[in-house]
Amino acid sequence: MRRVVIAVAFSLVPYAAAAQAIPRTADGKPDLSGIWQVMNTAAWDIQDHAAQKGVPGGPGVVEGNDIPYTPEALAQKKKNYEQRATADPETKCYLPGVPRITYMPYPFQIIQKPTEVTVLYEYVHTVRYIFTNGMPHPKGPIEWWLGDSRGRWEGDTLVVDVVHFNDQTWFDRAGNFHSTALHVVERYTPTDADHITYTVTIEDPNVYTRPWNMSMILYRHKEKNFQLYEYECYGFDFEKIYPYPELGGAR
Amino acid sequence: MRTLIIGVGTFAALVWATAPVGAQGKRLADGQPDVQGVWAAVNAGSTSLTNPISGGEDFDRRVTGQDIKRPSRIIDPPDGLLPYQPWAAAKQKQEERDYEHPTKPEDIDTQHRCLLGGVPRFYTIVPAFRILQPANEVVFVWDEFHAYRIIPVDNRPHIAPNVKLWMGDARGHWEGNTLVVDTTNVRGARLSFIGDFYSENAHVTERITFVDANTMNYEATVTDPTVYTRPWTMRIGAKRRPDDEFWESACWEGNVNPDVWLDKK
Repeated sequence: MRRVVIAVAFSLVPYAAAAQAIPRTADGKPDLSGIWQVMNTAAWDIQDHAAQKGVPGGPGVVEGNDIPYTPEALAQKKKNYEQRATADPETKCYLPGVPRITYMPYPFQIIQKPTEVTVLYEYVHTVRYIFTNGMPHPKGPIEWWLGDSRGRWEGDTLVVDVVHFNDQTWFDRAGNFHSTALHVVERYTPTDADHITYTVTIEDPNVYTRPWNMSMILYRHKEKNFQLYEYECYGFDFEKIYPYPELGGAR
Repeated sequence: MRTLIIGVGTFAALVWATAPVGAQGKRLADGQPDVQGVWAAVNAGSTSLTNPISGGEDFDRRVTGQDIKRPSRIIDPPDGLLPYQPWAAAKQKQEERDYEHPTKPEDIDTQHRCLLGGVPRFYTIVPAFRILQPANEVVFVWDEFHAYRIIPVDNRPHIAPNVKLWMGDARGHWEGNTLVVDTTNVRGARLSFIGDFYSENAHVTERITFVDANTMNYEATVTDPTVYTRPWTMRIGAKRRPDDEFWESACWEGNVNPDVWLDKK
């Protein structure tokens, strides 16, 4: 008996040393502030996929892997995939929508205040506010790229309800798409100081036969002096003509 | 006892000195004065740094037939004019003409193209901005252009000089109620519709003073020996605005084909 107890205690020590407690704000809520990024290939394809030239392969983030498209929507998805090189809204510098902005291969910074959670994404300097001030969604119809985000705390989970989307964004570079009826519910659950379990429920009766889920982990950037740079997106060949070429160091 | 009195006295002096600035004179946990909230420039306008009125430097002349001297936002040199080198002055005049009658995409001002305005330009625009202060940072988020600027105030070094960013690389520190910001790593950038500009060799030093709870005084000194004969300084006042929700503003480069703007041949 005694030996067992010692063994258990010993096995807990490395875990306790490695995983630090969830940081908390003055009001006791988990503090999600910091710089985060996914480590997955969902930006290319949210479903399981093999590598192609310029595309890292990997497991998808869709729970169960299948997306319950209606037959018409599935045909559209296949068409999107075939035309993805030019049809993907990402190629036009649009704001990428939610949740796609979360798993783009760029870091983002969360700044948490009691009445709002501001998320600053490196990709096209996207700014997103998740309002936690108790106000409801504004009355629609509104078509926003990132929708309207309203958050509330359920225990240690920030639950974000997002509506009022346009239908101009995709979920990935593989043509997965939605309509303006999209309803997204995100759940941010910190599991320790440096990891957030991020699950998303997608609902859109115009496109899917039932709601479906994505799940992934957000990792905290801990490199010394890490900071966001910027990814400005040019719909045209702007870097060739600007700034003035005759200036020293012209690019 | 004596120590205690000195301690109390120092504390009281600190409170007195900072009371007018932050909300209730509050300091944040990391020691920064709390200047969070929504602000907007008072003498805003992107047309020109020397005359912010929409329509260009000759707006009044064109409309009323006479020049009306408005106060320049340039406070140094004393004549209120940008101290361009001769070639750069000619370049700015050409850019102004091209802006009036654009024939090439590069004649269109970057702000109309929704590209990041950088500094000091973003402090001259009309839309409001929000200041957030997470630990050891001051963050400006503008209500348009989905633009933000993160200024670490933790004495970290600048990034490598070869990296050029639209917003530059900012490092700040507080001197009382003044946020002093050193910005390097800028791209060459347009500063106004009429084609004012600096090169990628520009170095911007800002002194952002929170005069009282509702007043922000913005001063930026630009040093760029490639374009100017001497450093110059501009000043803009800003006032606190209601702490309303900022909603999506989705200006993006490429949302309008540049041909739409160009003069037809």
